[in-house]
Amino acid sequence: MSKILIDRRAALAGAAALAAAAAAPRATLAQAGPIRIGMIVPLTGSGGPYGPVMAKAVKAVADEINAAGGVLGRKLEILVEDDQTNPEAGVRAARKLIDVDKVTAICGTWASSVTTAVAPLCWESKTFLATVSGADSITLLPHQGFLVRTQPNTTLQGRKFGEFALEQGAKRVFFLTPQTPFADSQFVNIKAAVEKGGGVAERLIYDDKKPSYRTELDQALAFKPDALVFGGYTADTTVLVKDVFRAGFSGKKIAFAYSVNQKLVDGVPAEAVEGIYTIAPSPAEGSNAHKRLVKMIGMDNPDPYTTQVYDHINLIAMAIAQAGEASGAAIRDAIRKVSQAPGGEKVDNALDGLKAIAAKKPVDYDGASGPCDFTDIGDIADCKFRYEQVKAGKIALVKIA
Amino acid sequence: MLAYLIFTLTIGGIYALLALALNLVWGGAGLVNLGLAGFFAVGAYASALATGAGAPILIGWGAAILAGLLAGFLVTFATLRLRDDYLAIVTLGFAEIVRLVALNERWLTKGADGVSGVRAPFKAELGVAGFNFFYLTLVAAIACLVWLALRRLDLSPWGRAAKAVREDQELARFAGKRVLRIKFEAFAVSAAIAALAGALYAHFTSYVSPDHFQPLITIYVFLAVTAGGVGRPLGALVGGYGVVLFLEATRFLAGMTPGLAPVQVAALREIVIGASLLAVLHLRPQGVFAERPPKAPRLP
Repeated sequence: MSKILIDRRAALAGAAALAAAAAAPRATLAQAGPIRIGMIVPLTGSGGPYGPVMAKAVKAVADEINAAGGVLGRKLEILVEDDQTNPEAGVRAARKLIDVDKVTAICGTWASSVTTAVAPLCWESKTFLATVSGADSITLLPHQGFLVRTQPNTTLQGRKFGEFALEQGAKRVFFLTPQTPFADSQFVNIKAAVEKGGGVAERLIYDDKKPSYRTELDQALAFKPDALVFGGYTADTTVLVKDVFRAGFSGKKIAFAYSVNQKLVDGVPAEAVEGIYTIAPSPAEGSNAHKRLVKMIGMDNPDPYTTQVYDHINLIAMAIAQAGEASGAAIRDAIRKVSQAPGGEKVDNALDGLKAIAAKKPVDYDGASGPCDFTDIGDIADCKFRYEQVKAGKIALVKIA
Repeated sequence: MLAYLIFTLTIGGIYALLALALNLVWGGAGLVNLGLAGFFAVGAYASALATGAGAPILIGWGAAILAGLLAGFLVTFATLRLRDDYLAIVTLGFAEIVRLVALNERWLTKGADGVSGVRAPFKAELGVAGFNFFYLTLVAAIACLVWLALRRLDLSPWGRAAKAVREDQELARFAGKRVLRIKFEAFAVSAAIAALAGALYAHFTSYVSPDHFQPLITIYVFLAVTAGGVGRPLGALVGGYGVVLFLEATRFLAGMTPGLAPVQVAALREIVIGASLLAVLHLRPQGVFAERPPKAPRLP
C-alpha cells in the first residue's frame, strides 16, 4: 500500500514540476523585461570541451554590461542550450530559444552541421545568428543578412597556405589530405594562390586510417614538389611525417597547427618533425580585448572559439544600442555600423562602445578574435594568422600576420 | 510557446514512426536492430536527393520507402546467420557505414556540408506557421496509419508467427513456419518505415547531414520502445511521442535547478534521462503498455 502512495506522490510532484516548467517562461515574458540572447553551444558530444568555456565568457560579458546599466536601460539575459554536437538536438534547442524564450539573437553555434540546421529557423523567425563554424557553404545560405561568422572560412585559410608556401620560395606545392569537409576548397584556394605567384600545385586524397603512406608519398614525390602541405589530423599526420622523413624529402613542410601540435612533436623522432611550419587562425593576442577576456575568465590561453563568442556578445549588445531596438532585424541592420564604421572610434569592449554610441559617435570594434569586419554575406574580411615552426622539439613562433 | 509545442509534437511523430519500426522488428520478430539511424539516414538522403534532382515530393517519399526496403533486404541478407548480440553489432556497423558513405561520397551527398534547402511541401503557400501545423497533422496522421496497420499485422497470423520466431526460432521452424521469410519481411518493412520517417524529417527541417545520424538517435528510440512496451504497437506510438516530450521537459526541469553552470545543466539532463530509463526497467520492465499475448484459439 505504502508503495503506491509514494508513487502517487512522486507522480504528483512530477506533474507539478512540469506544470511549473511550462508556466515559468510565460510568466517572465513581459515586454519591458530583459533582452534575451540565446547561446547554442556543444556542452556534450565531440564539441564538449569548447562549449562550457564559451558559455562562461558570454555570461561574464553580459554580467559586466548589466553591472554598468545594461543596454537601452534593459538587462541582458543569456540563455544557454546544449546542442550535443548534433544538428537534430541543435534544432530542438533553437526552437525552444526562439519560440519559448523569444530571443533576439543566438550566438556560438560551433559544428558546421548544427549551424546549417539552425540557420533557416533563425532567418525565418528574424532572429540574428552569430557563429564560429568555418564551412564555406554557411555564408552562401539564403540568410538575408541574419547571419555573421567570426571564423575564417576555408577560402581564406587555403589562400594563406598557398601564399606562405610561395613566401618560402616553393614553386611546386603538393597537398596531401584525407577526406574532410574542407579538402576541396582548401586545395582550390592553395592552387589559386600558388598559380598567381607563377607556381603549380597538385593534390592527393588518402585514407586516414592506413598504417603507412609509402605509395601515396611515391606519387607525391614524383611531382618533384618544393613544398608538401599536410591537410590531415594528428593521427594520420603522425604516420605521414615519419614516412616523409624516411623518403628523404628535403623541401618545405607546412601543416595545420591543430594537427602538428606539441603532442605530435613529442611522439615522433625530433629529426622527422624538424622544420615543419604550422599555420592557424590567430586570436588577436596582445590586443586589449584579448587581455580583458583573459582577465575575465581567468584562463591564459582561451581557445579561438571563446575569443570569437566574446566578440559576438559585445557586437550584439552594441548593435542593439545603435539601432535603439532589441530585435533580430535591428541587429542585422546595425551590426556593421558598430563592427566597421568608417573612421569610427576604435573600441575593444561593449562598455566603451555603448558610451560612444550614446554620444552619437561612430564605432569600429576590434575584438579578441581579430578586427571583426564583415563582408556583405557575413564572412570576416580578414583575420590574423599565426605561423610557427618546429625547432629542436619545440614549436616556436615565426610571426603573427 | 505554441509554435514550440507544434514543433516538439512533429518531432514526436517522427520518433513514434521510428519506434513503430523498431517495435516491428525487435518486439515482433526479436531481431535487435541497432542500425535504425542508418535506415533513417537512407530514407532522408533518398528523398532529399530525389526531390533535389527535380522529383515531386511524393515520389521522393516513395523513393525513400523503396530505398529503405532494399537496405533492409541487404542487411538481412548479410546477417542471416546472426542473432542477438551479434546481429546488434552488425546492424550498428551498418548505421556507421551509411554515415561514412554520406560523409565521403561528396559527389552524391555533398559530404560533411550536407544537403540543405530540401523542399518543404506547401511551405510557400501556407506560410511558416501554417506549414508547421500542416506538417504536424500530416506526421501524426501517417504515424496513426502505420500504427493501425502494424496493430492489424500484430494480431494477424503473420504477427503470431513472427512472435513464435522471436520466442524460439527452431520451434517455429519445426511448426512449419517459414522463419527466414518472416525475418526478411519484418526487417525490410521495418527499414522502410524508418526510411519514411527519415524522409519526413528531411522535408520538415529542410536539411540533412551525416551528423544527424549518430547512434544517439537509435538509443532514444530504444528508450521509447522500452518505456512504451516492447511487442505492442500502441506502446511504440505512445513511447515515441513520450520520449520527445520527456527530452524537452528535462530541458526546463534541469534549467530550473538553481546555481548550476550550463555544462552542469547539460550533464544533469543526461543523468535524468539515463536514470529514467533505469527506473522504467526496474519498476515496469514490460513498459507502460505491456504486450498481451493472444490466447490460443479454441479448437472447433
